[in-house]
Amino acid sequence: MKTAVKKFKGLSDKAIAWIFITPTLILLLAINIYPLVYAIRMSFTNFYANKIGREPKFVGLKNYKKILGKEEIWEKMQITAHFVCWTLILQALIGLGLALLLNRKFKGNELLTTLIVLPMMLSPAVVGVFWTYLYNPQVGLFNYVVNFFYDFGVFDMIGSSTLAPWSIVIVDTWMWTPFTMLICLAGLRSIPNYLYEAAEVDRASKWQQFIHITLPSVLPFLLLALLFRGIENFKMFDLVVELTSGGPGSATELASINLKREAFEKWKTGYSSAFAVILFVTIFGFGNVYVKVMNKIKER
Amino acid sequence: MDTSRSPLEPSGFSRKLAATIIIVYMVVTLIPITWIVATSFKSVDSAIAYPPEVFFDPSLEGYVNLFTNRSRQPQEYLDSLPPPDTWYEELVRSREMVITGPSKFMGRYSNSLIIGFGATFLSVFLGSLAAYAFSRFKVPLKDDLMFFILSTRMFPPIAVAVPIFIMYRKLGLGDTHLGMIILYTVVNLSLAVWLLKGFMDEIPKEYEEAAMIDGYSRMQAFFKVVLPQAMTGIAATAIFCMIFSWNEYAFAVLLTQFNAQTAPPFIPTIIGEGGLDWPAIGAGTTLFLIPVMIFTVVLRKHLLRGITFGAVRK
Repeated sequence: MKTAVKKFKGLSDKAIAWIFITPTLILLLAINIYPLVYAIRMSFTNFYANKIGREPKFVGLKNYKKILGKEEIWEKMQITAHFVCWTLILQALIGLGLALLLNRKFKGNELLTTLIVLPMMLSPAVVGVFWTYLYNPQVGLFNYVVNFFYDFGVFDMIGSSTLAPWSIVIVDTWMWTPFTMLICLAGLRSIPNYLYEAAEVDRASKWQQFIHITLPSVLPFLLLALLFRGIENFKMFDLVVELTSGGPGSATELASINLKREAFEKWKTGYSSAFAVILFVTIFGFGNVYVKVMNKIKER
Repeated sequence: MDTSRSPLEPSGFSRKLAATIIIVYMVVTLIPITWIVATSFKSVDSAIAYPPEVFFDPSLEGYVNLFTNRSRQPQEYLDSLPPPDTWYEELVRSREMVITGPSKFMGRYSNSLIIGFGATFLSVFLGSLAAYAFSRFKVPLKDDLMFFILSTRMFPPIAVAVPIFIMYRKLGLGDTHLGMIILYTVVNLSLAVWLLKGFMDEIPKEYEEAAMIDGYSRMQAFFKVVLPQAMTGIAATAIFCMIFSWNEYAFAVLLTQFNAQTAPPFIPTIIGEGGLDWPAIGAGTTLFLIPVMIFTVVLRKHLLRGITFGAVRK
């Protein structure tokens, strides 16, 4: 059969394969790989993108040394780590909880899932803008509701440097918990029924079933969801820029926001390219280790 | 324990409890969205009332402010003008202002539409071609190529924004619709290829082979047999590409300014006199969110499948 197919009219399969793949590869190489290589090359120079006439000079590892020796950069990394850790913890707990509840197939299940998913479909930048209104210390709905339950008086989620890091955690959790929920739900639905049937025959309690069947089966899915969210939040830019623009001071200045300031406000192209490369390597490194750990857990 | 029902069926009580908690969560999570839509129908004064007004006199002030530019005028000047022709002029006059022209919102909104549809069409089209090739043919280094395509998604946008900015400036693509369409197409392509390959893998090879026995060439079989069969998958992929392009902010704010700026970087810049004009921002947000919400609810089956896709099949 297969040998017969090759004799049909028109271009050969091999030619079609290349015609079909080439446009995609060329676009990815031109708009993704070329800029990345360009950025790596610039990271070894003292290039300023706003000074067109000036020839960039090769400075070796100077940019990298400068960044890694700067205390300010470690602060940004700490702020980013705080944001990534707390959003992942909250989204894992709430997302898994919701998925377990939704798995009890009640009426209207699908419509409710869709409505819960709505926040993650919205534009992060626009979400950031309208949360500044909800967080407004004088007229914000969020502040009103919090004060309704316990009277804290006037407080400013975005303006206070102790509260601001939590304000971005709350909004990101509100927006992205549905993502963890959906992936966990897919995991729960993939558990074959016979496992529970067998457990029931062995008189295992519901709690034992949860610990020994449900949790281990859903764990790989949860870890995968957290990987995606971890990468996204490490690169977080749009939501936080519009919500707090990194402030007050630099209390919520995540790595990406700092990078944008260096690259597009101070125009230190060489320096910021080096920082971009460091971030990229960090994401890749963490991602790789995480995937290895994830695969080990899966094998067990 | 009740042994008559299946052990897998949760009891009526636990099901009701689960439904109740889910409904409470749903209501709480939708409050922010409902609130911003409600704010778009408030007057400027009512939007800054405390305690926040749940019941209010609806007003279209936000929408009028969104679509117009206005300037404040002294009362004597307003009195000297002929009476207003339209309801919106009257509304603006009552705030001691006159309309000086249409705002930029319509232009930004149509930029979002043009760039969104352009990028979606291109990425789905190119993605289908590549996905078909990866699904059906022996491509050398197939797994490496597929991984390479996926890995391009891991770059932080800001990391490649500077080189793209410089490149676009040289090519004359900076701040153009075409430039943004190409950029969003590339960002979407990796996801499109991965999603579509999965859908194409599910279409039996026998369909095209039968068509080719009937005298179709491979190309004809692809366009006339495979593509129509893959329509569900193509729809799901298109929704994702559309939502991404519609919502994208980082590239838009860095690479566009006047000509091709989309709505997400524009909406935050809607500022009224003496502080933020919340009803107008609410109106812009509402008009911007409505298409996505309708999309999500109407096409929920495709969408939910697409989201969980990467996790379920591997």
